[in-house]
Amino acid sequence: MFKNGILRHAVVSAGFALAVSTTWANAEQVPINGTVQSKCIIMTDSAGVYGNPNAYTLSTAAADGGADAIVRIDVTLADAYKAHITAPTEFSSAPSLPDLPTFAGNTEVQTVSDATGMGTYESGKIEQGMTDIYDLTATGSTWFKTSSTVTMGGSKAFPGGNYTAMVTAECIAK
Amino acid sequence: MKLLIVMFMLLSSVGILHAHEMTPTYPKLRPSHLDNVYVTTMEMFNKRDDVEFYEIGVFDKDFNPIPFVTSYKVFNLKYLGHVSFDVYIRKDDVSNAEFICSKSKLRKEDTKRTAVNSRICSRIK
Repeated sequence: MFKNGILRHAVVSAGFALAVSTTWANAEQVPINGTVQSKCIIMTDSAGVYGNPNAYTLSTAAADGGADAIVRIDVTLADAYKAHITAPTEFSSAPSLPDLPTFAGNTEVQTVSDATGMGTYESGKIEQGMTDIYDLTATGSTWFKTSSTVTMGGSKAFPGGNYTAMVTAECIAK
Repeated sequence: MKLLIVMFMLLSSVGILHAHEMTPTYPKLRPSHLDNVYVTTMEMFNKRDDVEFYEIGVFDKDFNPIPFVTSYKVFNLKYLGHVSFDVYIRKDDVSNAEFICSKSKLRKEDTKRTAVNSRICSRIK
């Protein structure tokens, strides 16, 4: 009787274990596949705003009530890309202007994710007119800050309306 | 400290919301099903919520345009959308083709007082 009880208990336990293992074996597994590819990603952190410190000037300087445009570029492959950042050279949309505006602008590295590998980005940049070229020799993130100032010719006033200008951020494989 | 971490995460997520990416960095041309035409496949991912259209271009080393064919030269890519597209180039132009670029196209009514145009160029190897 005792032996039968032990036997029954063993059979029930084994059956339960088998059922559980069978349940596990039948569990659905959904794979998540991914491929990591080296790449460059351009992100627009801040589009920038023109302030209007006087009648004939538009400026992105904070002191003038504006905000600089900030672009972040991430690269996942070292020494594979160059960043070309171009400050605005014209308005993409504006009211009818009384004279020719003059554009000035500058781009500089604001922040880097790797101070050791990217510390020379600013000093090593090449300036070609309104375009600044950076050699992205290290992997990681770089934030570029672009300022822009527009002055109306003859110190004439900017007519009221909306003004839009473009900063161009390019990532070009070497 | 917790506040700083939360602010950092928020700022990071804000940055990630506006991204333009294209792969591969170095595409390789292969013979297509057409005679004397080569093809490569590119992939794009749009995380710029302010951009819905991108333009594709093929250029030589001096960024002069090279003739090419793809499904749409300017295509609609919704926010968080992926697209894979083939770029076909004639055999005669293969030796000159250096870059395949994608450029964001901003709609006039969507632009703010300043805006950022993004362009990514892969180099054909």
